[in-house]
Amino acid sequence: MATYSTNEFRSGLKLMIDGDPCSIVENEVVKPGKGQAFNRIKIRNLKTGRVVERTYKSGESVEAADVMDTDLQYLYNDGEQWHFMHPDTYEQIAADKSAVGETIKWLKEQDMCTVTLWNGNPLAVTPPNFVVLTVTDTDPGLKGDTSGGGGKPATLETGAVVQVPLFIAIGEELKIDTRTSKYVSRAKD
Amino acid sequence: MSWQPSASFELIKLRAQTLKKIRHFFDDQGVLEVDTPVLSYSTIPDPFIESFQTRYLPLTQIMQNDNYYLHTSPEFPMKRLLASGSGSIYQIAKVFRQGEISAYHNPEFTLLEWYREDWDHHRLMQEVNCLLRGLLSPLIDLTNTVFISYQRVFQEQLGINPHTVSKSELIACAKKQGLADVLNEQEDNDLFLELLFSHIIQPCLGSKDSAGQKSTANKPYLCFLYHYPASQASLAKISTENDCLVAERFEIFINGIELGNGFHELNNTQEQKARFEEDNYNRKVAGQAEIPLDERFLNSLNYLPQCAGVAVGIDRLLMVMSQAKHINEVIAFPFDRA
Repeated sequence: MATYSTNEFRSGLKLMIDGDPCSIVENEVVKPGKGQAFNRIKIRNLKTGRVVERTYKSGESVEAADVMDTDLQYLYNDGEQWHFMHPDTYEQIAADKSAVGETIKWLKEQDMCTVTLWNGNPLAVTPPNFVVLTVTDTDPGLKGDTSGGGGKPATLETGAVVQVPLFIAIGEELKIDTRTSKYVSRAKD
Repeated sequence: MSWQPSASFELIKLRAQTLKKIRHFFDDQGVLEVDTPVLSYSTIPDPFIESFQTRYLPLTQIMQNDNYYLHTSPEFPMKRLLASGSGSIYQIAKVFRQGEISAYHNPEFTLLEWYREDWDHHRLMQEVNCLLRGLLSPLIDLTNTVFISYQRVFQEQLGINPHTVSKSELIACAKKQGLADVLNEQEDNDLFLELLFSHIIQPCLGSKDSAGQKSTANKPYLCFLYHYPASQASLAKISTENDCLVAERFEIFINGIELGNGFHELNNTQEQKARFEEDNYNRKVAGQAEIPLDERFLNSLNYLPQCAGVAVGIDRLLMVMSQAKHINEVIAFPFDRA
């Protein structure tokens, strides 16, 4: 069983806590001039997404979680599962709804995503920071408005709804920042 | 790799001005500035403090010992000066503590340490307050200083008497504070007190008004916490208060940050030696290397006059003065750029 000592704690380190894989968000050292040191960490439960605090006596060890991020290509959704493929080995992996979560609204076939695997099974799917998606529905554009001063909602091919400038029309390809769910620009060829 | 300082020149200048003001303060009080060795064949055996070690390689003269420690505080040789008749003394020293890196720790840091002959810790706390208020007041809005005992702060914040509390009450208290399972039940009471102190009590010291005066809430203030449990005496005298043994030791906090530690100094060779031997025993149990005891220091202790001493972290003081969030903001070249 691999373990990490408290002096190896840093943000991003993956630990097994209460039977669940977790990622350290923040590591704070509490070391008085005289007396015992403690590591106080904020951890995100990778299954539930919840962030909790934990304290360890400095020098203790905690079980490591076999969690790794791999870049996989999104292939298709069969109604129940989302299928991904390793671009070099062509190995396929299926993720269920709980792993895909909110990422559903950004998943476009053939895009590369980061799939977090725990003991080889998908735990979470992170979309690329930027995706290019086609507008499937929005109110008609206003002629001559290129200022982008106002805004209107637009539905994209994946079902996501984002605020876009008034001049955007149905059928246009847009670049979206998935981290903020915000329109960046029209996609440039 | 960045070769430039992590501190701004504004804060590099603040450091210079602060050191000048400190020297001026002690000059006015007639306290002598001294300079003692950084390297010694011995160091403090406290299991929670690790010293850096280095080797002496003889070119001209072989010494009995070739292993030397970098001091973690100039305490031992300063007390030898006091025992030799120096009178009140101060020192601004670079000190070294192994492994300590955080937003509030750099393994090499600056300590202001001073000793007042014939004084006790209560009188010294007043002088520390006077010096620190003088340095802080021009820069930050300080409210009245609070002097409170370790016992009272535990009773007010956690409803337990730290000197008489049982293990089961400590376990229940830790659980109630969201700190269940951090320590196993075999650990001694002091460790539970340290956990509760550093996680629950300390963050409130010097920022929230523990006396409950709402008008001054969240303004920073200096907080002197005194009379620690006798088991945490370190190099302080032990006395009796309300039928409990307490260490005549104090610490200084502001905004939840520990700024310094002071003692009414123990001047009994046998008792100090027994405490060091217990420290070494605990090091051995924990698998840490034992420390050769400083016999020169121990032999001087029976000659140490009544005195009180304190060490204040200059880097942390500069952090508070400048409202810095990380110690690297006040050190030109911290450990990772040294």
